[in-house]
Amino acid sequence: MISVSKLLCELDAEGDGLRYDAAADSSKPQISREKQRRPVVVWNLTKQCNLYCSHCYAAADTGTAPGELGTAEGKRLLDDLADYGVPVVLFSGGEPLVRDDLVELVGYADDLGIRPVLSTNGTLITPETAAELRDAGLRYAGVSVDGLPERNDEFRGADGAFDAAVRGIGACLDAGLKTGLRYTITERNADDLPGVVELLHDEGVDRFCFYHLDYGGRGADIADADLSPGAKRDAVRRVCDLTREYHDRGAEIETLLVGNYADAAYLVEYARRHLGEAVAERVYDYLRRNGGDPAGERVADVDYQGNVHPTQFWQGYSLGNVRDRSFGDIWDDESNPLLRRLRHRSEHLNGRCADCRYREICRGGSRLRALSAHGDLFAPDPQCYLREAEIA
Amino acid sequence: MVENPDRHRVGDHPRDAAGREWEVFVRPDGADPLRHVGSVSAPSVGVAYEQAETLFAWCADDVWLCPADAVERYSTHTLDDDAERVPVGPDGDERPRES
Ligand code: SF4
Repeated sequence: MISVSKLLCELDAEGDGLRYDAAADSSKPQISREKQRRPVVVWNLTKQCNLYCSHCYAAADTGTAPGELGTAEGKRLLDDLADYGVPVVLFSGGEPLVRDDLVELVGYADDLGIRPVLSTNGTLITPETAAELRDAGLRYAGVSVDGLPERNDEFRGADGAFDAAVRGIGACLDAGLKTGLRYTITERNADDLPGVVELLHDEGVDRFCFYHLDYGGRGADIADADLSPGAKRDAVRRVCDLTREYHDRGAEIETLLVGNYADAAYLVEYARRHLGEAVAERVYDYLRRNGGDPAGERVADVDYQGNVHPTQFWQGYSLGNVRDRSFGDIWDDESNPLLRRLRHRSEHLNGRCADCRYREICRGGSRLRALSAHGDLFAPDPQCYLREAEIA
Repeated sequence: MVENPDRHRVGDHPRDAAGREWEVFVRPDGADPLRHVGSVSAPSVGVAYEQAETLFAWCADDVWLCPADAVERYSTHTLDDDAERVPVGPDGDERPRES
């Protein structure tokens, strides 16, 4: 995750210590005083979802799927994760709210000292569930909305999904839960982005996460709906401009970019062009401390059947299964040559990434997209939109 | 090395979150032992091999694949609800599972 508001507008956030090793300089209470040493774990609690979104990386379905980790197994998994020192678990799906033990699992994680956060389509959140989740210790709910009402509902395969998500967001905010937007930018919804931010900001949302499309699950089927590199550059510029405009008028929104570390390189270029060399150097320094694309290191995924993946988007390859072996043992096992190479990827990148001046802060972007596009895990990310002159 | 371990047979849970699941084993060089390197999801062994080759050809002479549901797993790790204790020792004693 790259915080545009932190880098361009110096907005402090709870993740400054974890993300940039900058807890001491931050005015906000911190998730962690230290830079992250263990991965944030995305746990896809279930494959089931009440919606059928066209870009779902988990290829979720409206029916139940066999092999789901049960409540007791889930608690043993959380025990393992706590023992290993995992700082944050993102409860995801499918739609995690279709499981009736979500509140229990959130509470269990919180009791173990893991920070529980939620990724949801928001449509099942009532005032009662929002209050229960808050009381159980949930720290954050990220609600997916992917366009203005008509476009969002088309994406999500359900009329009324937009309104239901906004009602869910309202319920979370009323319960005092920190709540943010998750927005996956594609060709179909890029133009809606400022309108959605305005609408949700009026509802009281002040955190906005913009995701690039990764090519996992059904995301692979709509790879052709991904923005062209040029359009992607425009969309990211719009996020930067919009963040600064809001801050200039005193609305301190938090904005983040997720899923394409070419954004790190672009942010340095943007800062140099609009804010001067000194700011560009500060931005670069923060991003160097952040460490580039996190797959296989700072982020991990456990799917609903217990398979461990290097990121939540890479569901087609599993490092092992938590029913066979503890998460920590799977994650630490660098006898797996692929995992080892992924963690030392800078030495193995080829093509334009090999000589890129931003290699240290980007680390070649998404290895999964490189694999999908070129059949080579260390080829360039096809969605890098930096110009040759910028990376030379 | 664990001496006289309590092992459990891991239950027969489906692992096909994204297609049929295939355990992958690679041998870096002729004299090396086979090493388990995770699993891939694929509808057929041919596609599974293609995927495993894309991921591991650079480091392996040999690539072996096995359907994940054909593997019997006995482990000291006890997360699984359906894990069955396996008798240990000459008298077939069982030690209680840690909660
Ligand atoms: S060329 Fe490669 S390393 Fe450089 S910014 Fe693009 S994706 Fe990142």
